[in-house]
Parts: sequence; C-alpha cells; structure tokens
Amino acid sequence: MDYNWMMAVAILLPVVAAILVYILRQYHVRGIIVVVTAIALIINSILFLLKGSQTFTPANAQLWDTVVTVLDYLILLFYIYAGISLKNWLVLIFALTQIVPLAYFEFGMGGKAALEAINPTFVVDHLAIVMTLVISIVGSLICIWAIRYMYDHEHHNHIEKSRQPRFFFWLVLFLGAMNGLVFANNLIYLYFFWEVTTLVCFQLIAHDLNKEAVNNAARALWMNSIGGTGLILAMIYLFVKVGPDSLSVAKIISGGIAPALLLLPVALLCFTGMIKAAQMPFQTWLLGAMVAPTPVSALLHSSTMVKAGVYLVVRLAPAFAGTKLGIMVALVGAFTFMAASGLAISQTTGKRVLAYSTIANLGLIIACAGINTPLSISAAILLIIFHAVSKGLMFLCAGTIEHIVWSREIEDMEGLAAKAPMTTAITTIGVLSMFLPPFGMLLAKWLALEASFTIPLAGILFVIASAATIVFWAKWLGRLMQVLPKLGSKIESLSLSYTVPLWVLVLGIFGLGLGVGPVYEGLVKNAVANVIASGQALTTSATGIVVNGVTAVSSNPSFAVGSYPVWPLFVVFAVGILIPFIFVAVKPGELRPVYLCGEQVEGADADEWYSTADAKTKVQLGGFYFKGALSEAALNPWTYTLSIALLVILFGVVFLAIGGAI
Amino acid sequence: MNAWIIAIVTVIVAPFIGGLLAGIDRRITARLQGRFGPPILQPFYDFFKLLGKAKIASSRLQLIWIYGYLVFMVTALLFLVLKLDLLLLVFVIGFAGVSFALGGFSSKSPYSHIGANRELMQMLAYEPVLLLFALGVFAVNGSFLISEIFNNPTPLLARLWPIFIAVLLILTIKLRKSPFDLATSHHGHQELIKGIMTEYSGPYYALIQLTEWYEYVLLLGLVYIFWANPWWAGLIVAAVAYILELLIDNITARMTVGWAVKFVWSVGLVLCVLNLIYFWLLPIKGVS
Repeated sequence: MDYNWMMAVAILLPVVAAILVYILRQYHVRGIIVVVTAIALIINSILFLLKGSQTFTPANAQLWDTVVTVLDYLILLFYIYAGISLKNWLVLIFALTQIVPLAYFEFGMGGKAALEAINPTFVVDHLAIVMTLVISIVGSLICIWAIRYMYDHEHHNHIEKSRQPRFFFWLVLFLGAMNGLVFANNLIYLYFFWEVTTLVCFQLIAHDLNKEAVNNAARALWMNSIGGTGLILAMIYLFVKVGPDSLSVAKIISGGIAPALLLLPVALLCFTGMIKAAQMPFQTWLLGAMVAPTPVSALLHSSTMVKAGVYLVVRLAPAFAGTKLGIMVALVGAFTFMAASGLAISQTTGKRVLAYSTIANLGLIIACAGINTPLSISAAILLIIFHAVSKGLMFLCAGTIEHIVWSREIEDMEGLAAKAPMTTAITTIGVLSMFLPPFGMLLAKWLALEASFTIPLAGILFVIASAATIVFWAKWLGRLMQVLPKLGSKIESLSLSYTVPLWVLVLGIFGLGLGVGPVYEGLVKNAVANVIASGQALTTSATGIVVNGVTAVSSNPSFAVGSYPVWPLFVVFAVGILIPFIFVAVKPGELRPVYLCGEQVEGADADEWYSTADAKTKVQLGGFYFKGALSEAALNPWTYTLSIALLVILFGVVFLAIGGAI
Repeated sequence: MNAWIIAIVTVIVAPFIGGLLAGIDRRITARLQGRFGPPILQPFYDFFKLLGKAKIASSRLQLIWIYGYLVFMVTALLFLVLKLDLLLLVFVIGFAGVSFALGGFSSKSPYSHIGANRELMQMLAYEPVLLLFALGVFAVNGSFLISEIFNNPTPLLARLWPIFIAVLLILTIKLRKSPFDLATSHHGHQELIKGIMTEYSGPYYALIQLTEWYEYVLLLGLVYIFWANPWWAGLIVAAVAYILELLIDNITARMTVGWAVKFVWSVGLVLCVLNLIYFWLLPIKGVS
C-alpha cells in the first residue's frame, strides 16, 4: 500500500473514526465503527512492519505545520480555560508556562521557521514500528472490549443520557495520537502529539464527571503540563545553543552534537518522559487515573500514554550514553521499581495494585534505558511489548471481574474461582505471566537483572522489587482461589466483546512467550540497533535464548553470560500447571470440609462453625495488607524524599557537567 | 543425550537422597532431644503409607497447585545438575514457592490461609538473598552459568563468604527449621495447626513430602557449589551446613514472621550488599 495511505490510516483514521462514533450515536453502529477501525489499524501496523524503516514528510507540509500550530494553541487555550473554570491554579500555571514560552519561541525567536525547515517530519524506524504494533494491536483490542464494558457501566450506574459517544471519541482518538507521537521526528510534532495524549487523558479520566474524577483528571493535566514545559524548554535550549537544525529527534540521537551541549535538553526530555511514565514522585496522576472506567486504565497502562514516556527515554538513550545522566536515569527508574512494588503490597483495591505494578515496570524499563547496554535495551524493548500484552489483559480481567462482583476491592473477589471459573483462569494466566517463568515478562526481567551489573545499585533495587512483586501478585491471586469444598461450578457466560479480546491477549501471551526468539530476531533486534548500534546482546536458538558473553557484557568470549531455555520451560509449565488443570479430578465423595478444630457445622460445603454457646458463625478470611509497615502513609515520606533527591541529583550532575565543560 | 541421562538419573535418585536426609534429620534431632528416634528409613515408610491412604481434598484447585510445586522444584534441581543459569534457577524456585502458596490459598481454610500468607512473607525474605547470590556469582565469574562455577578453580566461598552466611540463613527458612518454621510447623501449634499444609492429606501430602525431598537436594546443591572444585570439598561444606541447620533448629525457638523478614533483611541482605559493594570497588573479572 502507498506509504501516504499507511500514515493516514495510522494517524488520521482514528480521528475520522472518533468523529464518526461521536456523531452516530447508536450502540451497534458504534461497535461496528470501533471494530472496523481496530482491524484496519492492526493490519496497517503489520504493513509498517513489512515495509521496514522509512522516513516520511507529508505532501503539503506547510498546511500540516499550520494545522499543528493552530491546534497546539487551541489545546493550550483549553488548558487555561480548564484551569480557570475548575479553579485549579496548578493547571492554569502550568498551562501558562507552556503557552508563553512556546509563543515567544515560535514567533519571537524565529523558532517557527526553524521547525518548518525540519525534514523529515516523521521517522518510522524499527523502534517506532515496535511501538505502533503495540499501540495498534493491544490498544485496538482494548477499544473492542470497551464497547460492551461502557454499555454495562452506564446500565449499572443508571445513566440517563449516554455519554458513550464522547467516551469513544477520545478513546479512539488516543490511538491516532500515540501513532503520531512515536513516528514524530520534528520536535514540534512530538510536542503536539504529546499534548494531544495529555488532553485525551484528561478528558477520559474526567469522564464520569464526579468530584473525584475531575480532581484526578486535573492532577494528571498539571503534572503532564510540567512535562510539556520541559519539552518546550528543551526545544528552546537546543535552538539557542546548538542551532536551528537540531530540533529533530534524529539529530539529537545522531551523535553529531557535542555531548556537553546535549546534556541539559536530554535531561529535560527524559524528565518529561518520566512524568508521563508516572515515575516517582509523579506517580499520583496515574494512581488517580484509575477512577476512570476500566478501558481507560487499560489503555493508559498498557499500550498508550505511559508507554509514550518510556518510549521517549529509550529513544533518547544514545544521547546520554556513557554519561552520569544515564546512571541517574537508571537509578530513578530502579528506585521507582522498588518503591512502587513495595507499596503495591499494601493496596486493597485491585486496580490500584495494577497501577503500582505498572509504575514499577515502567521504572524497570527506564532503568534499562539508563543502563544503556545492548542487553539492557533489549530487555527494555521486550518489556514494552510483554508488559503491554500482560497488563492489557490484567486490566481487562479486572474490569470483567468488576462487572461480575460489582466491586474493585480485592476482598470482594474472595472465591471468584467458584463464581466465574473462566475469568479466574484467564486472570491466573495474566497474573502468572507478569512475574514468573516461562512467560515473557520474567524473561525480560531476567535480562534486565543480568544487564544490571554495570550499575550494581540498580541491580540491588531490582532484586528487592522482584521479591515484593511475588508477594503482591500471589496474595491477590490467592484470594480468588479461596473456594468452598463444592464441585460443578458453571462456566460463566460473557459478552463476545469481553471474551474475544481476553482470549486474543491470552493467545498473545503464549504466542509471544513461546515465540520470543523470532520476536527478538524479527522485531526487537532491529529496534535495539536503532538505539544502540554496537554489539548484539542475544543469540536465539531453536529452544531458547543465550546472553552473549562477548558483545553483551564480558570481554571473555569463551562463555555465555546466561541462558534461558524458553521452550523447555513452557513444557514444564504445561506439565506442572496446564495438564493438572485439565486432568486432576476430584470425586464428590472425596471432598471434605476444611479443618475447623472439629467445630464445623455439618455438610461438606458449610463454612460455618460452632462458636461460643454453639452459635453458628461464618468463617471469615481477610487478606494481609501490612498496612503498618508498607502503607502509603508509612512509606510515602521516604519515597517522596528519596525520589525528589534523585531528581535533584539528576539535574545536579547535568549542571555540574555543563559547568565543567565550560 | 548425556544431559538426558543426567536429568533422568537426578529425577530418580534425588528423592532417595532427600528422604535419607530427612531420616538423618529425625534421628539427629531425636538424639539432641534425648530420644532414641525412628529408623533412618522412617520417612520412606511414612511416604508409602501416605500413598495408600484415601484421597481426600477440600478443593480441586489445591491439588493442581501442588503438581506445579513438584514439577517446578524438580525443574530447579535439573537447572542445577545441568549447570544452567543460576539467576533463572532462582526464578524457577520462585514459581515453585508461589505454586505452593497458591495451593495453601486454594480453600477457605483459616489455618492454611495464615500459612500461605506466611509462606509469601518468607519468600519476601529469602528471594532477594538468592537473587543477590546469583549477582555475586556473576561478579566472581562474569557469567550466571553454573557450569562456569565448576570451571573456576577458586571456590566461591573464598570470595563470597558473606553471601554464604546469608544463604545459610535462607537454608534455615527453606528447610522449615526454627526460628523460621512459620508457614507450617513440625509440631502442632495452636495458632497454626499445620499451616499451609493443613488441608492436604494422604497421597497429596505424600506429594508434598516428595517435593520437599527434591528441595533438600536442591538446597544442599546450592550450598555445594560454594566449593565446587574439587568435587568432595562441596560435599563436606554441604554436610556441615546441614548438621549446623539441625543444631540451629534445636537450640532456637520459633519467632514471628515479621521478625523473620526484618532479621533476614537486616542481616542476610546487608551481608549480600556489602559483599557486592566489595566487588563493585574492585574491577569485575572478565568484564570490559
């Protein structure tokens, strides 16, 4: 297909579809439009993969430049309006810190002409292709899943006038903005799509329009506006210190600019990325975002928004290679990984556990970018892929469970395995795929740990985080399993809009996990080469992956650093979990009530016991949340102090290095 | 094909070694407590008797998870004898542990619920130490492969002795010895009954015993690799470590799980980190 059309489908088709779902307000029409758009985006993203690395400048570039400029200011004016109408001064302040420098830069300093001269507008390299695959496939599946979810959501909340058209307008638009963002080479296009994602995020979080939703949306807006400000300041610095031709991503990472001049703008851009990726101390916007309907969380956490943040940091890795800035980026990420994993243990709400887990994994990805070796970048890109699929699935599971038990609290999910065996089985696969072998997430985490030796402190933080990860996932999963001794629970029936995306993602987890060798060879290897050209970290074989000794880390070529037998481990998983799951049978006569010191009420499936004065009392179990030691109240003073200190040191080393260079 | 033979021999022989170790444990413990103790082969008699008992369970799920526990524990042991990646081995042990904990969660039983939560807390305590052990091995050898440990003429113990002490602490947890005998207990305690294992009985309980025997061999194997050259030195280290664990078991009292986490982190983790910092200050062998 013509490349013009491919770009149009990737960026503009979601816009058209968004407008259509807004105008045509029937449930079924909306469903058809969303499904068709999803299929088109998925096919289109595969075409990008087949086409390979390309650059692209639209035919009437002048026109598009004008459109982008006009929309930029419209968005910023809307932020000002939002700040004033919500009486949220932070929103207003950070809208002004964007619009004033941007206007001065573009029209006062001659930045507009410099930006228009940047060629090409878009660079679609292999890293961008990985991103567009993630966005288009996982993002589209979430949109399909949302069709039924939003219907149920409004039905359950007795909403008179449907707000679904508006919801799907922003949801579908998100995918286009993300595609534009990862393709953008011209910094003003990057900035524009960045702001669109911030705007869409604001609108989606505020969707339910209750007080909490609006407040949290405003928080997401002002925090990400700080990031936008960072992006503008980086542009101005580049323009003034380096020259008008430096306002493109390709130029920044080309190695053609003196490292000392690059440090500050790159630090600012990384800072921008970290805010979008909800790194500490900016994690609260993402935690607040979970008040939104679950498709929004699924989209924000898996394939869009936060992935834009980590994408930018990974993208910029060549620009901070070998600097102290790189070490600090790694430490900020590793610290967030550890702190967020610890905080997740004390969370009682399912979606909040997921949110902290996302923040933690984004931290790991950013830490990998900071470590900046072929091995760690491979880990980072594999994490982006696997995390999108697993976390997408986990949020869809959380949403499906929410619509079965009508609660987001983990405690209300006790014994879900009896109520909804299929959802529980899928959730189990989702949870296991987040942190255990043989699945892809663990493989990437294992790579990250093997890569961590250059910054041992990061390695130590990874290790503590990994241990905490085990605890919060396993105890959540454990609550779902706590069933009464009863047989013959019926498989629940769910709408196709729920089950199709769920099963596709489950297939994705197994397919990508088993096929990690081909995925690495066909997709990730080239993307890593876009970031770090020298050396190949991994060798794939028929059954697994070997971490090369010679190029990855070690100067001793005679032995490998590590090996991961992928296929054998999947066989072990099949033998240890899947086959027992299918074949283990319990006959009715073999079931016994649990041990209650001989005081239980008769009947195999009774969960009552004779308490004082033979009063029948129900057995009640409660999860362990360690509120005393690990709650936000207990840990946040530490996490904020340390994470802010890390950011201060990050900019400190940059200023010291600049001072030293002068 | 050689690897297949090693794997098959391991799967067959390991339970016998593990069972014997359990027998020795009971005998020595009895002597330490002034009793005569059962025959060395008693664990095997118990095992076969359990196999013959009626199959009863309190949920289907709990049975699924103990197969996972067994299979992943055996896999971890195979990683060791086939000299594969040590870091990955730790993650495989992690799956076994999670699987066991989920088995404990899989019925609405207060005792196994408490036990499973404690099991997870114990994982929180020991997982970082084992992972740091792997990082320490990398710092010495420039590789995570266990085969490189065997190729290195200098024993790990010489340079990783602080981590070795930490691993001994982990051994106490994993062997379910006092003061860390918290998720289940060898003697019935009112607050716990048999903890995470309360709801297992008969042949299913035998499966857990079998898994524990594999685990004994695996754990002592991990101690063994601290002095892998010459081959007999590691055996001595492992034997001494095992006897030491039995002694510790008999001279200490069970503590609380909160204390266990704090203790292992403040002693074990700190020892590991200090050990790694020492290597960080030195250039790492084989790393450019």
